[in-house]
Amino acid sequence: MRTELLKLAGLPSAWVAAALGLLIPPLLVTLNARAVPAGTDTGFVELTVGVLGPLVLGTIAAGSEYRGGQLRTSLVCVPSRLRLLAAKTGAVTLTVAVTAALSAVLTLGVAGVLTGGAGPRIAGVVVYWVLGGLLAYGITLLTRSGVLPLTVLIVNTTAVSFSYLLTKVTPLAAYLPDLAGARMYLHDMDTPGDLAPVTGGLVMAAWVAAVLGVAGYVFHRRDA
Amino acid sequence: MRAARRASDQGPRSRTGPRSDVAGPGPALTGGVITIEHVSKRRGRTTILSDVGFAARPGRVTGFLGPNGAGKSSTLRILLGLDRAQRGTALVAGRPFAAWRRPLTVVGALLDEGGAHRARTGRAHLRWIAASNGLARSRVDEVLDLVGLGDAAGRRIGSYSLGMGRRLGLAAALLGDPAVLVLDEPVNGLDAGGIRWMREFLRRRAADGATVLLSSHLMGELAETVDDVVVIDRGRIIADGTLSEVTGAHPSLEDAYFALTEAGTRGPR
Repeated sequence: MRTELLKLAGLPSAWVAAALGLLIPPLLVTLNARAVPAGTDTGFVELTVGVLGPLVLGTIAAGSEYRGGQLRTSLVCVPSRLRLLAAKTGAVTLTVAVTAALSAVLTLGVAGVLTGGAGPRIAGVVVYWVLGGLLAYGITLLTRSGVLPLTVLIVNTTAVSFSYLLTKVTPLAAYLPDLAGARMYLHDMDTPGDLAPVTGGLVMAAWVAAVLGVAGYVFHRRDA
Repeated sequence: MRAARRASDQGPRSRTGPRSDVAGPGPALTGGVITIEHVSKRRGRTTILSDVGFAARPGRVTGFLGPNGAGKSSTLRILLGLDRAQRGTALVAGRPFAAWRRPLTVVGALLDEGGAHRARTGRAHLRWIAASNGLARSRVDEVLDLVGLGDAAGRRIGSYSLGMGRRLGLAAALLGDPAVLVLDEPVNGLDAGGIRWMREFLRRRAADGATVLLSSHLMGELAETVDDVVVIDRGRIIADGTLSEVTGAHPSLEDAYFALTEAGTRGPR
């Protein structure tokens, strides 16, 4: 896993992605403080947007293997594909978790809502970011390109929430990974369904496990 | 197994200046034999390789010759566990490549494309490779100096010339000081001086006991470098022997090659 952390650290874009995750939520919460009255979800709404950072990081972690033929070098160094994937998944998880925890503390601190009781909700944010990063990572691994996760997931997070629009069509959209996962820490969600925080997290985790399972199987089978 | 222990048994090596390794490493290398037997591969309905088999032996440079698309790279990729064959075995020192826990100490590989992300510096690239096999960090600067990239180590790989990219690939292959080298088109993109340096380097490695297997489509260059020749054409081995055996009665390896492959009659591809 040290190798995979070194690989990430050698890429300038990975540092940009980490910086995005670290800085966007505190900046947003500062801007919003002037326009939006503080509520129960102050800070946490902005942290939801901050998942952008892990999405980019997960995409970079997987996508960089398909740039310049790096994957072949990786497999010559570590011939076991499962071992390679395990190490890489671990590196993404660790990096995102640390970024998420720092960003959450920073954001809630800036918003002045960092209280002792915020612990479980911060844990929810950390899990949400890690699962988001792994989702982008899994899709990139499967498609061997960052185009799909970068366009769909990031537009969905920042500009137009397809997931939210889908809730107008079917209440089942509440089980989409982003909406279900946000239940872990958001209290005021104007979407249908009423998943408990743990249930929401499990639903999101199930999505990620499914994508990683398929991606891992395909990665294991296909020629490098 | 002897090959696997080599690198870890040795203490740290003295730092070498640029290209000084042409003078040769101290102890004799004990290469493992490369054996490829009955390897067949299809992709969809296309047959890439059919019943490919040959060996590369310690102390010798084996040239793997063939036109573009003949199956050279596919064979080497199967040998390195990157691609899967439907049939056959490919072993390095008696084991499949993927069975080695720290493969870089056994086999050094130079692949046809760079194998490096362009946004990294040369040094960062070698650093993660060294870390992946538990190799000392000091090896990174040693091999960079060895291939003459010491001054470019801090530059992004994207700014490297083709020849520098090859040198970086060779540096990666040498990190674990392996006794087996597998090189796909090693002189591709090198200038005349670089080609000469590569040839002398590989000859010296083999003289010290290493197994060197390299692919090329450049006959003239190959004839000056190799001891043994394996010729592949359209996925089949059509000649296998020492340089003089394969050249036979033809005036040169190039003439023998065109007679064997009929590439000359087919015109440029």
